[in-house]
Amino acid sequence: MKKNIYQPIKAVIEEVIEETSTIKTFKLRPAIPFSFATGQFIELTVPGVGEAPFTPSSDPGIKDLLELTIMKAGEVTSKLHTMQKNDILGIRGPYGLGYPLDKFKGRDILIIGGGVGLAPLRSLLFSLFSRIDQYNKVVLRYGARTPSDIVYKALLPEWAKKDKVDVLASVDIGDPSWQGNVGLVTTVLGEVPVVSAKAVAIVCGPPIMMKFVTLKLLDLGFNPQDIYLSMEKSMSCGLGKCGHCRIGKYYACKDGPVFTYEQLKDIRDIWD
Amino acid sequence: METYFLKNEDILKFYERLNQEYELFVPVKAKSALKLNCDCKPIVPTDDFSIKKFSQVKKEEIVFSDYRSTEPIRSFFTQYKEEVSVFFEGEDSKGKKERPLALCGVKNCDIFALKIQDFVFLGGSEVDAAYKARRDTTLIIASDCPQFKNVCFCRAFDINPFPTEGYDFNFSPLTNGYLVDVASQKASSIAFSLKDVLVPATLGQLSGRSSKRESVVRRLDDYLTQYQIPKKEKLQDIVVSGHNSTVWQNESRTCVECNGCVFICDTCHCFLLSDDSSSGNARRLRLWDGCLLKNFTKVAGGANPLKLRYMRLRNRFLKKFDFFISNLGIQACCGCGRCIDVCPGKIDIRRILKILHESRQVQPEVVG
Repeated sequence: MKKNIYQPIKAVIEEVIEETSTIKTFKLRPAIPFSFATGQFIELTVPGVGEAPFTPSSDPGIKDLLELTIMKAGEVTSKLHTMQKNDILGIRGPYGLGYPLDKFKGRDILIIGGGVGLAPLRSLLFSLFSRIDQYNKVVLRYGARTPSDIVYKALLPEWAKKDKVDVLASVDIGDPSWQGNVGLVTTVLGEVPVVSAKAVAIVCGPPIMMKFVTLKLLDLGFNPQDIYLSMEKSMSCGLGKCGHCRIGKYYACKDGPVFTYEQLKDIRDIWD
Repeated sequence: METYFLKNEDILKFYERLNQEYELFVPVKAKSALKLNCDCKPIVPTDDFSIKKFSQVKKEEIVFSDYRSTEPIRSFFTQYKEEVSVFFEGEDSKGKKERPLALCGVKNCDIFALKIQDFVFLGGSEVDAAYKARRDTTLIIASDCPQFKNVCFCRAFDINPFPTEGYDFNFSPLTNGYLVDVASQKASSIAFSLKDVLVPATLGQLSGRSSKRESVVRRLDDYLTQYQIPKKEKLQDIVVSGHNSTVWQNESRTCVECNGCVFICDTCHCFLLSDDSSSGNARRLRLWDGCLLKNFTKVAGGANPLKLRYMRLRNRFLKKFDFFISNLGIQACCGCGRCIDVCPGKIDIRRILKILHESRQVQPEVVG
């Protein structure tokens, strides 16, 4: 029988890690080994409730486990947040094109994440770290609403210690424990240690953040073809069929979810 | 391709032969208003043809349809509500073998629309196996349109009211019978088994068909002059450049968001996967969805890029005349006019295109 493209495979929850009050990381063991390229996404099934698209946050080099960092937002994620170790989920995919790692070779890489948008970027960072000799440097700028909204709290200082890696986090609203920068992530982009005309920038976060970050990057002299944006729209099938995620002549699921600003700049209303 | 002549009184033999092998559907005159099979139940007029199961109609009800049926032909390939998977245990419904369909009364607009459906369900990242199986096994018995409806506008986009490709059989009505084109292997073997009623067409019959075809084309072209529908080469430009046109607000004022235009459209294809666990084991349903519905692009966090009705109307046109022309080289509109028939708000795609075209002509060309 031909493959049924709408049928998920089983995945068992092995561990649930609470990142913040609304964000959890789910460590899943798929019934059969599951490969993906960093930046590709999957459709996650909460049986009987529905499906939603997520980009894995784990190292694509690991085939038997898959991690997804997910914020509680709608029906599927609300149910998901009540689930525990040994519960069964379904996955389909991987879908989309992912990050073109080869194009980043020899360059300064500026990664800008907002909120839970750091999830797909974590997978990208793992991929970059595993072949760091191929890149000039990796600079991460991360913005969260408050210190308690920061995800991967333990990992960020670890990454900062790595050779050729520069990490800085900023929060919109500080608290007495917070020693770092207070302000939107755009406020820490002024003095990034990269040569903007030769660097690539990879952005993932809420649309409003991506809009202002893109404007800032253009202002700093980044080329539109070197700005990579994660355009996760409302999606259903993930296969370029259901019609929900159209952006101009593209489908986010099939032609993205990562697009360069060059691809999008002439399309109207992309930030809505 | 071979062309035969079939006498009027022998057509039942043709149907009965198909019915042995296929689940046969034939055109009948619609007797009552058709309610669309979707939640909002828009109603389409009664003066149309409907395609019904041969085994469920009286033989005297079967007619030759003068123009396209009320139902979009796509409804035979993807259903409004269809189980597409069961997980994780239990029988996968997609493993069940379906009886192949034979569809009579398919028109050239429908065949054009199937190019869009094929692009979606056979293309994309992966093939939809159930759709492919239906496309592979379904016998298409197309026919010429000797008449047209007041809403028909296929010729505006250079689509003829008679098919020349994309079918197994094509029927062209003559005075006392039909010319029958046999265009596929499957059709050939059926034709062979009917050789006592199918006789080779004469030159006179063939030229009779040509003049009938020319006549309907001429009449339809004359009829369409009043609508001033832009040519297909201009569609993408006028829709894209008309982004800020007031036509979207003006025309969407009477839209009641019934989604009738989408559900009756032969080229629309959008769907939503929805999971149902009411019967124990979770089932995945594929439901037709439509971009005129307000939650079409709404995301879990609540944001909705197409929050206003006029944006959704514009989106429908961008999808049909920008997205598909960019990706497939053809517009996702076959000129069947079903959307005009169904709309309780009298929104007319021909009028919108005309207004966009007119405002484009007074608007200076902007480069880049």
